[in-house]
Amino acid sequence: MDGMAERGVVFDIKRGVAKDGPGLRTSVFLKGCPLRCRWCHNPESQEFEPERAVTTGELCGMETTVGTVMEEVRRDKVFYAASGGGLTITGGEPLAQPAFTTALAAAALAEGIGVAIDTSGFAPWSVFEAVLAAAPLPAAKQGSGTASAAPLADLLFLYDLKCMDDARHKEFTGVSNARILDNLRRLDKVGARIWIRCPVVPGLNDSDTDLAAIRAFVAPLRHVERVDWLPYHPLGLEKYATFGKTAPSGLPSPQRT
Amino acid sequence: MATDEFNYPARMARLTARKIEQTKAKLAALGTRDEDDYGLVLPPASFQVELPARDATGQWSGPRAWAANFRWLMENHPCYIDPDDAIAGRWMFMLSRMRLGYQLSRSNFAFDYSHLEPEQKKYDITPGIGKDAHFAPDYQIGLDLGWGGLLAKVREARLRFAREREAPGVEAQGAAPADSAYALELLDSEEQAILGVQAWIRHLAAAADDRAMSEDDPARRANLEETARTCYAIVDAPPRTFREAVQWIAVFNMASRTYNRDGAGGQLDELLRPYYERDRAAGILTDEDAEFLVFCLLLNDPHYYQIGGPDADGRDQTSPLSYLILEAAGKLKASCNLTIRVWDGMDRRLFRRGVEILLANRQGCPRFSGDKALVEGFMRSGYSAELARRRIAVGCNWMSLPGLEYTLNDVVKINVAKVFEVAFAETERPEDLEKNYVRHFRAAVDVTARGIDFHLAHQYLNEPELMLNLLSHGPIEKGMDVSHGGATYYNMAIDGAGLAVVADSFGAIEERVVKEKALSFAALKAAVAANFEGEEGARIRALVQGAGRYGAGGTAADRWAVRLTEILRAEVAGRTTPDGFKLIPGWFSWADTIRFGKAVGATPNGRLAGEPISHGANPLPGFRKDGALTAMAAAIASVQPGYGNTAPWQLEVDIGLANDPDAAEKVMALIEGHFALGGTLVNINVVDAKKILEAHRDPSKYPDLVVRVTGFTAYFNSLSPAFRQLVVDRLIREAV
Repeated sequence: MDGMAERGVVFDIKRGVAKDGPGLRTSVFLKGCPLRCRWCHNPESQEFEPERAVTTGELCGMETTVGTVMEEVRRDKVFYAASGGGLTITGGEPLAQPAFTTALAAAALAEGIGVAIDTSGFAPWSVFEAVLAAAPLPAAKQGSGTASAAPLADLLFLYDLKCMDDARHKEFTGVSNARILDNLRRLDKVGARIWIRCPVVPGLNDSDTDLAAIRAFVAPLRHVERVDWLPYHPLGLEKYATFGKTAPSGLPSPQRT
Repeated sequence: MATDEFNYPARMARLTARKIEQTKAKLAALGTRDEDDYGLVLPPASFQVELPARDATGQWSGPRAWAANFRWLMENHPCYIDPDDAIAGRWMFMLSRMRLGYQLSRSNFAFDYSHLEPEQKKYDITPGIGKDAHFAPDYQIGLDLGWGGLLAKVREARLRFAREREAPGVEAQGAAPADSAYALELLDSEEQAILGVQAWIRHLAAAADDRAMSEDDPARRANLEETARTCYAIVDAPPRTFREAVQWIAVFNMASRTYNRDGAGGQLDELLRPYYERDRAAGILTDEDAEFLVFCLLLNDPHYYQIGGPDADGRDQTSPLSYLILEAAGKLKASCNLTIRVWDGMDRRLFRRGVEILLANRQGCPRFSGDKALVEGFMRSGYSAELARRRIAVGCNWMSLPGLEYTLNDVVKINVAKVFEVAFAETERPEDLEKNYVRHFRAAVDVTARGIDFHLAHQYLNEPELMLNLLSHGPIEKGMDVSHGGATYYNMAIDGAGLAVVADSFGAIEERVVKEKALSFAALKAAVAANFEGEEGARIRALVQGAGRYGAGGTAADRWAVRLTEILRAEVAGRTTPDGFKLIPGWFSWADTIRFGKAVGATPNGRLAGEPISHGANPLPGFRKDGALTAMAAAIASVQPGYGNTAPWQLEVDIGLANDPDAAEKVMALIEGHFALGGTLVNINVVDAKKILEAHRDPSKYPDLVVRVTGFTAYFNSLSPAFRQLVVDRLIREAV
């Protein structure tokens, strides 16, 4: 199948994004997420199907193709080149639309556009393998057989770590962290470039013990380039009502931040 | 903080604080003004202006009258001396605005052009007739000759023309035949102007010396004595030291401002480099001294200077002095118009340092010009690469060849929203709209070009450029005013204003009427004519406002913006004026978007009657939900006029990005990306939305807040409330 014709559900495309990866980026937001993080500030990203805002009637999410998305992504090529930026595939959980994400990443990489995948890590390892197969091997690795001598060029994982304690991970996100942690170790082993991102939510996962546990897990990994601690912001809370959902309770109120 | 110490940081702090006080005083005395700060200060309250050459109606024209009035102003000009300053003098009057009935939008003109006015009004054209300055002097001429040398040059030329008058056939220098009677009058007047300036310099020297006598503190006294010595040294002779050169440039600037508001600067690093290198080698100047002197020059007046960029042969001009000038600008917490020329062969550290200062200071300085598109464009206008590289950023939106070119830059505007309105009103079928727009735009360019010819035919009798002639190659030698054959090149600028309003209007019609058929052309015309009033009007307005905008990327409006630029190029660059003068197109509205908007009824993009038109080449605020700066950069690069003049990008960077540790790289990438796509000039504000909103509510709260309004920067609290609102709308909505 032609990768450009691959279909997926996208709920936003933002250009000129100066965060979530290096340089200036275009962020493509894929709809649907298997997690239900209590602090989620993109509640409109959770369901896989397009949905309407109950307040405005505005449709959130539409089915599109890799080809259509790439038309938008290409527009800023000159800025990616000047800044070391590229495409960020985010969501929702991009790896929950594996065929679309893989085809989109492959299309961008084939055109020399760097790709960052912003993931919770919650996906079968086979999905990671498929995405990794789309990335060109770095020159240092070709033919040399020395695995993980250099990280995979042009493909970057923005990988969330939320809580090392599995019971509380389940409580906060609805899923176990076992798969997530296993995938991260394997990604590191194959030499993928990784930026760890930890949402720090006051009262939930911001204890010294929690942060130390994350540091301890990351320490032995060889291809983690940086760890970002992302401060919690309550901006998304009002969006729950917009989409007819109940905002989670027990979170810091806007006044606190 | 300002202390009583007499070291450079303390002096800079006191000078800056005094400037803020002066700005407050100007605001109280003159009211808000939507233009450049200019650096002028108020004269003493007791000072009476008694111009000798005014007629009963308060007017004057012609070289002799201008010279007499200017000489009077210079000879009687109050002498501003600040013991902290390394430069003597501030300017206080603008002679060109002392003619009765002066308006910023319409100059006094002694010749009747009412035959052009109906069409000028029809298309809301700002014709530039009678406008002055707006081209660049070559300071090198003055630095080489000094005032005495300039005087000798004028007298020598006068002698030549007097002899020629007595014995016709003795050839005057220069190709064009000069009117020797006019030449004599002009050169007499130039002499008067120089004598006036020299008198003022002597007065400044004496005032500094007087002040020194009453100064007890030895350091301050030494500075004042050095100021006096410097002024005396440059009354006749060319400057020999760095300090003398800086004072010389400041004197020329202040005198030229006093004459007619001229604010064009030059390639400051190269102009001052010989003095810097000589004084450093001689051990009479430290880098700290040089930085402070440049600080004082920049504080004295926000003239437009360029640093960096290639020389005529394509070698990078960046020198240690370029950095020093940049650092001085960085320490100046006031209005400042410094441009860094960005090009392939540049010293990237200068570029980077410029961006760092811009992000740290948040005062809209420096700004950046794009060498590649500017050089290619000017070459397309028929000039060599060497000349194109020497055409530098010395004005609000404009480039000029110092001392060689007469341009009327930034004063000739066609309000394309008005042109569109005329075409739209007479169109019955959408498929005829483009054709009608082109026809009316052509008519608008026609009458604009005839206005330019009229200006070039009469301005030398109305208001000769007595100051800028002195630093131009030709006018003195040829005995001809720069506006009337004295200049080497004539490249007359015509800027379109209102691009986004027209592109969005065409785009909305294409999307909603032609493609989707959601709306009939007749219904749209009725709604526009009724200013979108009533329920049906509101519905139609929402429909057209929802259409894809110019700037979003890949929309019908984006394609129309490119098409409108092709039309601009074809109709302006593709022809000359009837008298054969070259025309160069640009997109730029200066700070006139409110005035232009008042002339135009509702437009099919949903804009209501009388609302401001769009700014320069920028898309309208709200052009994309994400406000993507990359999208804006790409859009503005796609509408470049392409013949050496600019369509600047007015860029507002949110403070959130400014706080990013990689902010400098990202802003550099935005600028370089824009230039790689064909951009010519980027004016940048770093915006703290909260602070600007607070300052808008209570302007007195942040008297030091400086914003880059457009090509120029201004104290935010000096702008009128309506204009502040416009700046707020743009800054806040675009920066998020």
